[in-house]
Amino acid sequence: MAEEAKKLIQFKNIVKSFEGGQVVLKGVSLDINENEFVTLLGPSGCGKTTLLRILGGFLQPTEGKVLFDGEDICAVPPYKREVNTVFQKYALFPHMNVYDNIAFGLTIKKEPKDVIEQKVLRMLRLVNLEDYARRNVTELSGGQQQRIAIARALVNEPRVLLLDEPLGALDLKLRKEMQHELKYIQQEVGITFIFVTHDQEEALTMSDKIVVMNAGEIQQIGTPTEIYRRPVNEFVANFIGETNIIDGVMLGDELVMFEDKKFPCAARGYEKNEKVDVVIRPEHLDIVPREQGMLKGIVKSQLFKGMHYDTVVETRVGTSITVKMQVTQDKPVTNNGEKISASGFLLDVEDAGELDDAKVIALASAEAWDAETEEPVSIKTVSHGIRAETGEYDVTFATAAGTSITVKAIVVTQNRVESSVYQEEIFAMNFFKKVEDVQESIALDTDLKTWASASAWSLEGEGEQVEITDVKYDFDPETITPGIYDVTFATEGYEYKVSTTRAAEEGAEVGLVFRPEDIHVMRKKEGRR
Amino acid sequence: MKQFRSMTYPYVLWISVMIVAPMLLIVLYAFTTSGNDVLTFQFTLENFKRFVTDSVFLAVLWRSLYIAVVTTVICILLGYPIAYAIAQLGDRGNTIMILLITMPTWVNMLVRTYAWMGILQDEGVLNGFLGLLGIGPVPMIHTSFAVILGMVYNFIPFMILQIHTSLAKMDKNLLDAANDLGADPAHAFLRVTLPLSLPGVISGITLVFLPAVSSFFIPKLLGGGQYVLVGNIIESQFLTSGDWNFGSAISMIMAIIIMISMYLTRKADVSVASNGKE
Repeated sequence: MAEEAKKLIQFKNIVKSFEGGQVVLKGVSLDINENEFVTLLGPSGCGKTTLLRILGGFLQPTEGKVLFDGEDICAVPPYKREVNTVFQKYALFPHMNVYDNIAFGLTIKKEPKDVIEQKVLRMLRLVNLEDYARRNVTELSGGQQQRIAIARALVNEPRVLLLDEPLGALDLKLRKEMQHELKYIQQEVGITFIFVTHDQEEALTMSDKIVVMNAGEIQQIGTPTEIYRRPVNEFVANFIGETNIIDGVMLGDELVMFEDKKFPCAARGYEKNEKVDVVIRPEHLDIVPREQGMLKGIVKSQLFKGMHYDTVVETRVGTSITVKMQVTQDKPVTNNGEKISASGFLLDVEDAGELDDAKVIALASAEAWDAETEEPVSIKTVSHGIRAETGEYDVTFATAAGTSITVKAIVVTQNRVESSVYQEEIFAMNFFKKVEDVQESIALDTDLKTWASASAWSLEGEGEQVEITDVKYDFDPETITPGIYDVTFATEGYEYKVSTTRAAEEGAEVGLVFRPEDIHVMRKKEGRR
Repeated sequence: MKQFRSMTYPYVLWISVMIVAPMLLIVLYAFTTSGNDVLTFQFTLENFKRFVTDSVFLAVLWRSLYIAVVTTVICILLGYPIAYAIAQLGDRGNTIMILLITMPTWVNMLVRTYAWMGILQDEGVLNGFLGLLGIGPVPMIHTSFAVILGMVYNFIPFMILQIHTSLAKMDKNLLDAANDLGADPAHAFLRVTLPLSLPGVISGITLVFLPAVSSFFIPKLLGGGQYVLVGNIIESQFLTSGDWNFGSAISMIMAIIIMISMYLTRKADVSVASNGKE
């Protein structure tokens, strides 16, 4: 970065909160130099547009100061500021033609007619729309309106041009074109551009300096290369491009351990045994025969992307548990014009001791009704021998008229699997389900997790929840018949995204290699600069 | 779409019976002499000639147009600031104010005009109040002041609503853009807000001018017998003199004047719109 360049704009600890206590900016400090192309990059709601509007004068900061050329401009109304804005939806004046739109600022300043004409025509040439002066702005395409909006702002010769997601409404091809055009215009007119976007690619292509924002705070400021190669935290690493983030431990300067292996790297200045996030970009990984790999794994998937393959390599499998799902089809029993139905159920030993009839009826979804009128009939007797011991028990439900049905209840102990290697525990229960429940499920994986009460957690620290990412079963939910099926739940293993020109077959055992200088290490947690 | 077409037939029938047929009857009456029976008509231009050659009738016509124009101008001058102020309020304030503006129109116009009679009379509320201050009684009822007041009062909601609608749908970013380009609030209003709200003003003019020029009970009640407008003449031709043919001819003349004025405002509207309106 050119540190010696003149500071044009300084945000000093800007806080902005809106009515209702919503804090959009939490103390943002930022310097912007002359003639810089600066991009404010972040997801929607991160406060980037708010910061821009404060600079434009449309919003007042709740706290903090904005210095322009060393002077506090918070009290200066927008129409007196030496900045111009290209608005998100262009905000061209619909009642004026292209020429009058561009001339608007100059006529307000009462410049002589011939000067205005000269300047407007020059701007039209700059944005390549010379023949459009007399056109109506509503007849123009999105890309053309965009360029008119830029011309309308630039004709006033501002010292700073603010662009609020100006390419958002354009299609991909036009957006790429405009990216180049904007960069060209900025170099041509030689003023500061402050560009707001949520598109990381846009930011990387055009900017001299990128300011990554999230949740009202600046995460990182740097050149595109710095931001990409040396992100300071997980948010930045994930937001800018595809990446692999692995838990690791620093063993000393230039030595990091992850996946129980030691690797040399370029990182220094960490404490011994400090826990860190290790970042390796997909394009810095390569696939080699298993014996030569620094890490070993199995190819999970590969997508052909033209220039390269996007490959996912799993270096360790997750913790998994397999439970039994008993699928039943509860045909109602008919007797004397009455029908009764119930289904088998599973019960935890701990719950088996204290059962009343109502609870048993609820567990078995038992119901009886008049076959003709469909009016419910009450279940008079529930007989079962369920004890607080694992095993199978018969449960019989009967109405006053003697219509009865018998189903099975299975008392189980909690089923859990512990993985000492990865310090994870996973739990799930065997369960009963009706055929139509399985068939009618819209999100079967999620439903299976719920039915089996599947969950997984870490055995380290505070026992954080670990996501179950894999649900495996070998039946076709649409044609399932009554019977017993295996369902396997598993947590995510370690997976690496690899961007490589080398093809590899799915399921192949491969090795991964990378260079020490491509290992980037970040401090854990909210590691602000 | 096609299967819905047959559903319009009842409306076509309704329109022809309730609107087209009466209009044709008016035209028929206007061009015939009185005393025709169902089969024999005597066509004549006498009814029109009588109107345009009689200076009394022409004076009434001018007076009607004058009153309508003054009413419309006052409605614009009063209605625009009100509409503008309402548009500046938040969503809630907007809803409440629009409700308040429209609420009087829920009461019959005739009743409201009678109320004004009570207020404006020599022994009325207003003069009673002025009497306490030692002024008056100031003659107010049966003056052109009373007639214009009654018309402005009755018709201004239409003007406010039209202008408000055009102001409310304006993109607020345009004002930010104007400010950004160096226009202070006054300039931004003159160069952006005002031109963009003109379509609303123009449809407001249509909605105020038309009823004002043809109104007959407001001048009758607030203007008293001596304040005659075209509407009153038409009314008396039908109800008092029984000369339906002459009444129809005057109605037709008014209809033509209204058509011309609508054409002119429409043209103004188009020229504003072609300058841009989304």
